[in-house]
Amino acid sequence: MQFWARVVFANATHLILHQRLLHLSFLKPSLIKHFSHKTLNPNPFKSLINPKNFSVAQSLNKKASGSRIGALVPPLILEKLEKIDVNSPKGTRDFPPEEMCLRSWIFHNFREVSRLFGFEEVDYPVLESEALFIRKAGEEIRDQCYHNPGVRSVTPASLNLHKCEMIVGFYIVLKIGEIAVLLCGPNLLLWLEWLYKRGIGAAVVSYQWNTDIIGVPGVTAEAELISSIVTFFKRLGITLSDVGFKVSSRKVLQEVLQCYSIPVHLFGKVCVIIDKMEKIPLEEIKTELGSAGVSDKAIVDLLQVMSVKSLSELEGLQHLNLCK
Amino acid sequence: MTANATHLILHQRLLHLSFFKPSLIKHFPHKTLNPNPFKSLINPKNFSVAQSLNENASGSRTGALVPPPILEKLEKIDVNPPKGTRDFPPEEMRLRSWIFHNFREVSRLFGFEEVDYPVLESEALFIRKAGEEIRDQLYSFEDRGNRRVALRPELTPSLARVVIQKGKSVSLPLKWFAIGQCWRYERMTRGRRREHYQWNMDIIGVPGVMAEAELISSIVTFFKRLGITSSDVGFKVSSRKVLQEVLQCYSIPEHLFGKVCVIIDKMEKIPLEEIKTELGSAGVSEKAIVDLLQVMSVKSLSELEEKLGSAGDAIVELKQLFSLADKFGYSEWIQFDASVVRGLAYYTGVVFEGFDREGKLRAICGGGRYDKLLSTFGGDDIPACGFGFGDAVIVELLKEKGLMPELNLQVENIVCPLDQELQGAAATIATILREKGQSVDLVLENKPLKWVFKRAARINASRLILVGNSEWQKGMVKVKVLATGEQYEIELNQLE
Repeated sequence: MQFWARVVFANATHLILHQRLLHLSFLKPSLIKHFSHKTLNPNPFKSLINPKNFSVAQSLNKKASGSRIGALVPPLILEKLEKIDVNSPKGTRDFPPEEMCLRSWIFHNFREVSRLFGFEEVDYPVLESEALFIRKAGEEIRDQCYHNPGVRSVTPASLNLHKCEMIVGFYIVLKIGEIAVLLCGPNLLLWLEWLYKRGIGAAVVSYQWNTDIIGVPGVTAEAELISSIVTFFKRLGITLSDVGFKVSSRKVLQEVLQCYSIPVHLFGKVCVIIDKMEKIPLEEIKTELGSAGVSDKAIVDLLQVMSVKSLSELEGLQHLNLCK
Repeated sequence: MTANATHLILHQRLLHLSFFKPSLIKHFPHKTLNPNPFKSLINPKNFSVAQSLNENASGSRTGALVPPPILEKLEKIDVNPPKGTRDFPPEEMRLRSWIFHNFREVSRLFGFEEVDYPVLESEALFIRKAGEEIRDQLYSFEDRGNRRVALRPELTPSLARVVIQKGKSVSLPLKWFAIGQCWRYERMTRGRRREHYQWNMDIIGVPGVMAEAELISSIVTFFKRLGITSSDVGFKVSSRKVLQEVLQCYSIPEHLFGKVCVIIDKMEKIPLEEIKTELGSAGVSEKAIVDLLQVMSVKSLSELEEKLGSAGDAIVELKQLFSLADKFGYSEWIQFDASVVRGLAYYTGVVFEGFDREGKLRAICGGGRYDKLLSTFGGDDIPACGFGFGDAVIVELLKEKGLMPELNLQVENIVCPLDQELQGAAATIATILREKGQSVDLVLENKPLKWVFKRAARINASRLILVGNSEWQKGMVKVKVLATGEQYEIELNQLE
């Protein structure tokens, strides 16, 4: 112990004196010191371990750990003792047995329904190239990309997001795995989804059951998908008096925008803005739409069409020739 | 556009692909100028995804009704998954699910409970200054909140964290298992994987080697389920206490123990001279090194007993373990091997690894006792032991031994409308069958029968159910049993 103190002292004038490298795994807890950055602690054995504030050594002096002196002197590693948190990272969950049971049960039902519909299970890396998710349409998903801001290359890369959004967004499948899989028929994707809430600093993790049908142009595919979710609900004992599905089509908006010669490439952006309808004030929606290049008249028509309550009403609107 | 795009490709257009017919989707590589964007045909292998280059433009707001000049450079996206990772299309997914099913079944047979933890953990959980390879290859980074995080390289620290978290509320012993993805980051351009799935079984709260014996028994059970025998694989077993006893003779401080073990574990991977040098730098005297190496080359328990005496923990425990192995029924699967140390710093007692007898493969699995891990995280020490079993080597082994399972997609029924207007009827039939628990592949478009038969063959359907106008008017459907060719008509409400 004395030997250590000597070595440490000589190299530590600019650091906290008397810091010691304690390889924690092999020292009895009572010898483990805890002290904050700024205190000087001449007698390292005075502090008692506080189970809530335990420490783990973390190297500050990288050079020291690499140097090898000829003599039998342990490498000079000056370590800053830091607290370890027993909680899982913010926004994530542990799954001890009870929670795991529930999760497994849910997943089992996801899989059973998928089996009943003849879907094949697939999976993809939770880590994907960031480029896969960059869609400059201002989507909340992209803003919430959990990634290392300094790195633009593949690794370390973004953690995976809404897979179904990607599949909907692109006719042509993006990945070799998908090409083989999707052209063969429906898929079940079980995803790990990471969201990083903007400005709040919390990561949110959820599992996502994804079901996709690639290669069928007609709405029988959508009908089949909704049928699978209904089947899932029924299995769990959820009835139509508990839940329902709201259905519409982007083509409705598309038809309105086309009247105003809004360029196609803005379409996605416009939809993303409109989707925020219930989340931000109407005035802001209008402003954002304006900035996106949508004229005031077009905005009026869009909002009118969006408030339609039935298919027949929608049909009626078509005859009114909104664009004029 | 031109004003802002002199350094970019001219006439690029952002196409939001979902809403364009494929023929309109352009493809062109970085450097070509393409004045007529609609000329290029889409090449499925080289599709493009828009990616914004001009960050300013998308953010600026002009008063006028001009669409923001989003200049997007169309770049090829790599269709391959990120380096070192795998996709699991259906076939690979079936294999993975089969392996995981076996992991779970064995765990169930042994009365273990399944758990899971986040794949992303605080980096601090994995910082152990013992020179472990696992630390060198930690896949860590800073998140947006400037926190140091890492994709877990192993599951044990998470387990320790949760056990401490639960504190007194937990009733020992705990028998937990997990199947989780673990990551490593290697900077070299080797074709190595950066992720794998690992089955972990851990027993917390049992101090005696009965626990290790149980763990090894579970792995033996798993191997047997897959058709692997004791002539294919075996377990090399030793104990860290052997080294500990040697080092204690030389007053090597306890805190160096993990480090020394990690160095010794590299025995077969780096030259002996280097091992000696590293041990020296770690503070191990030359005499101690000689003794260590000598003890490591011991070939039998009795020889070890001669060297260390019969009183030490190491010998007593190992003897007990071998005796238990006999009672569990797997004597021929395990052997003592003093050179087994394993590369994790935190093992304190029995250590073992599964190996392929032909010597072609890396370690199949590995584990041991780690009685002092919890205190390193600030908790109270609880006796613990466990193992990790990866999903990569076992597949190689199965291939080697010709034991790969045949796993095909199987759907019980394929339901097909013979006329466009019977699409709805087909949907009704599908729902009825599914409610009865039968899997149904519903044909969602107008397809010729030839196509339907082909598909039925691909999905190994048992029955083909056809809805034709004349039958449907009578409330009936045509059923064809594909294996026998038998065909009959049946009323919908009689259909099972």
